[in-house]
Amino acid sequence: MTPQTLLIAFPKGRLGDELVPKLAGTPLALDAAALKSRVLRIPTATPGVAALLLKGADLPRYVAAGVASLGIVGSDTLDEMDMDLLELADLGFGACRLSLCAQAGVTLDQLRAKPHLRLATKFPKATEAWLAREDLTAELVPLSSSAELAPLLGLADAIVDLVQTGGTLKAHGLVETAVLGRSSARLVAARGAYLSEPGRLQPLAAALVAALKGGD
Amino acid sequence: MAVRTPHFPDLFFSAAARLRRWEGILMEHFAAHGYREMHPSLVLREAVPEGALRFFDGEDLVALRWDFTMALAGLLARTFPAPPDRVAYAGAVFRRPVQPWEAVERFEVGCERIQPEGEPAPEADVELARMLMAVPGLLGLKSAILHLGNAALVRRPLEAEGLFGELADSVVAALSRRAPHRVREALDGHPAATRLSAHAEALLSVMDGPGTLDALATSPYATLLEEERAHMDRALRSLLPILPPNLELRVDLADVAGLGFYTGPTLRLWAPGAQQELAAGGRYDRLFPGLGRPWQAAGFCVRLSRLLDLAGTRPDLFEEPR
Repeated sequence: MTPQTLLIAFPKGRLGDELVPKLAGTPLALDAAALKSRVLRIPTATPGVAALLLKGADLPRYVAAGVASLGIVGSDTLDEMDMDLLELADLGFGACRLSLCAQAGVTLDQLRAKPHLRLATKFPKATEAWLAREDLTAELVPLSSSAELAPLLGLADAIVDLVQTGGTLKAHGLVETAVLGRSSARLVAARGAYLSEPGRLQPLAAALVAALKGGD
Repeated sequence: MAVRTPHFPDLFFSAAARLRRWEGILMEHFAAHGYREMHPSLVLREAVPEGALRFFDGEDLVALRWDFTMALAGLLARTFPAPPDRVAYAGAVFRRPVQPWEAVERFEVGCERIQPEGEPAPEADVELARMLMAVPGLLGLKSAILHLGNAALVRRPLEAEGLFGELADSVVAALSRRAPHRVREALDGHPAATRLSAHAEALLSVMDGPGTLDALATSPYATLLEEERAHMDRALRSLLPILPPNLELRVDLADVAGLGFYTGPTLRLWAPGAQQELAAGGRYDRLFPGLGRPWQAAGFCVRLSRLLDLAGTRPDLFEEPR
């Protein structure tokens, strides 16, 4: 990699699955052969611009440190990590709710009434903020995946997790009891790269917005 | 949870020599413009802020010098009935790092232009901008970008709408992220939401040359900010004809860094590819009145530690030393 290669950090997983087809046919389309391989640095249709495929939770660090100049990440991750980076646009796709979910039949009032409420989540910051707004206290059980299992197996009374279609919740007999916030994909930029090389970064940022927001 | 280990910058031969050389070049530059050196003590025994490195000397809580402007302001306000008009400094400051990669000890060179209350400020602001414009050439930077901003562009509309505290902080944080959608979210339901969101959109217009100022005309606060716009326009007209060949001048209407401190025009120097600004400053007219002196002031600081890092990681950005 030369210092002139510009890196864009794309998320793996749910957001990445939505993102890759939207980029097809644009100057930032990802090389199909490289995508099928296990490499994590993928050439794009624009020479000198490559994509890094990263886990959402790691992506903001790469951008904040200036390793990647631009990136796409869910606002839920941004809110949890609070990194120093620029958030140039709400791209609209990947929309989901951050919700409090419990087993069917358990109401929000019942959860409120518990003397010792336990909530499992991988979003502790957003959960703490909601608890403060609601004047509630709870024990937070940190989890990094498969939070839906926690209420079923008695690890927690409820979970705070992202809900898109509700299919996973339904499959586990869970229902949403409160919506804490909403999340969608955001275009982020490294502060230094964006402010020191605007002529290089702004056209690419505009191209990403056109490719990703235009298809709403 | 982030892991933080303190980063203490030990400088070996060529980097140490470069630091000494750059300090000398910049202090000569300031002296040539009438700025006289002051050197506030490394050890502070006055009000000790949280970000400073603190320790006990016997029973006394002391701190290492954490900011030259603050240290100088205290010294000047205590010592002089009338302000010395031009002051320069060079040395190290010590701060607890906010980001894990930040050094505890940071080398800086800077200058302060201090005036009695009522003396016209625009000329002093342009004087400082002209001096900063010469810095990239003096240090051998092949190219650089100077951003002109103005803290009042955000501060005055917020004050006019009676927005203070957490809500104002949220708006400023959203502007700092250059995220107009976050500004709208933060102001949702506020009576001034439409006006302030439109203002944010205007401030976040693409940064460019003098034409960027036209974006202010689309703001609902265009009338309120007429003076600031005229001030920036005058500054641009003074500076553009004398712009060095390898320096680009840009207007950054949404510069909100240090908004709690700066009150007017701001300056930030970048090099293409640098991850952090290399010099920063601006007008800060509330500091001396807070110390009991009716003086107004502006200044800038060249962050030599960042320049040293940049010279180490991106030597291609610098001319070969003569």
